[in-house]
Amino acid sequence: MTDREIITLIDTTLVNEFELNMADMAAEASLKDDLGLDSLDRVDMVIVLEKAFGFKMGEEEAIKAIRTLGDIHAFVINKKQLMQ
Amino acid sequence: MTHQSAVFDKKRNPLQAAGSFLVVVVMNLVMFPLIVLMTVMGIVLFPICFISGKIATGWQNDRVMRYFVWVYGRAWMIIMSPFVRFKRTGLTRGSIDMPCIIVINHLSFFDTYCMALLPISDIAFAVRSWPFKKLFWYRPFMRLANYLDLEAIGWEGTLRDSRRVFERKGAILVFPEGHRSGDGKVQRFYSGPFRLAIETGVPIVPLCITGTDVLLPPHRWWMMPATVCLSALAPVDPREFMGDGETAHINLRKHVRKIIAEQVEKMRKEAL
Repeated sequence: MTDREIITLIDTTLVNEFELNMADMAAEASLKDDLGLDSLDRVDMVIVLEKAFGFKMGEEEAIKAIRTLGDIHAFVINKKQLMQ
Repeated sequence: MTHQSAVFDKKRNPLQAAGSFLVVVVMNLVMFPLIVLMTVMGIVLFPICFISGKIATGWQNDRVMRYFVWVYGRAWMIIMSPFVRFKRTGLTRGSIDMPCIIVINHLSFFDTYCMALLPISDIAFAVRSWPFKKLFWYRPFMRLANYLDLEAIGWEGTLRDSRRVFERKGAILVFPEGHRSGDGKVQRFYSGPFRLAIETGVPIVPLCITGTDVLLPPHRWWMMPATVCLSALAPVDPREFMGDGETAHINLRKHVRKIIAEQVEKMRKEAL
């Protein structure tokens, strides 16, 4: 899976889960201020991304530092590379 | 015209308007101290009530606690009754099959108190972390009732604790909007309760509430007389959505949100 494919899968998954607009899915978009996702949404976000990529991420400290959509892209890409 | 605007309608007879204003003043001067007094008395009397209840019923601690939460809500309703009318539809004894996941729209801090209108008391509220942190006088009772702190326990914890409730034929109650609506309209729903229904096969019972936004809406610190209506819709079986694969919980969420929003709108029109 290429980085581009990972990013597309993340964006599509979040758009479907949270009924977002694909046009708003910019890497610099703030999860809270631009996409309107709060702490409860983060619980849902972890679940859908775990299902989409087949690995556990809920226990990781790095999750708490995520602020933007780009942070999620980087986190998942890094995680995938570590698994390979 | 809403109930709230009617009280201060400038076109009304000045005498009527002055009378309504006086009612609001008296309500707030009397009701807030009474609620505080009731809460303090409840806390003082709780140990003896809890022990007596446990001996009389043989129930587990959390079940006894949930019963007394329901009793507390009933007491609140009695205290409020000179100023607030309570109406319910579709909520007769035995009308809710257990276990179930109750989802309800959220308008006011007092919505939780109004759950005493339900004919069942074995309800575990699933809430965000802030009530556990800020409502310190309720915190020990919420812990004893095994309420779910969704943000603290995450999805795995939610699933585990909910299954425990369901095994004992209890109900989980969730406000799927996550916070109170500022304009009375039903907001976006979180996925949690719907994912829980899909994972466990436990039915959703949609509830609709109106009137508490007149009584005490968000960002207002004084109460107004109101008619509170609580209506139960037919249970929604998650098995009807399980064939939808990865989008099952999303489709269930959209369906339940739609029927709640329609019913709330209908109830609002009937109240005018």
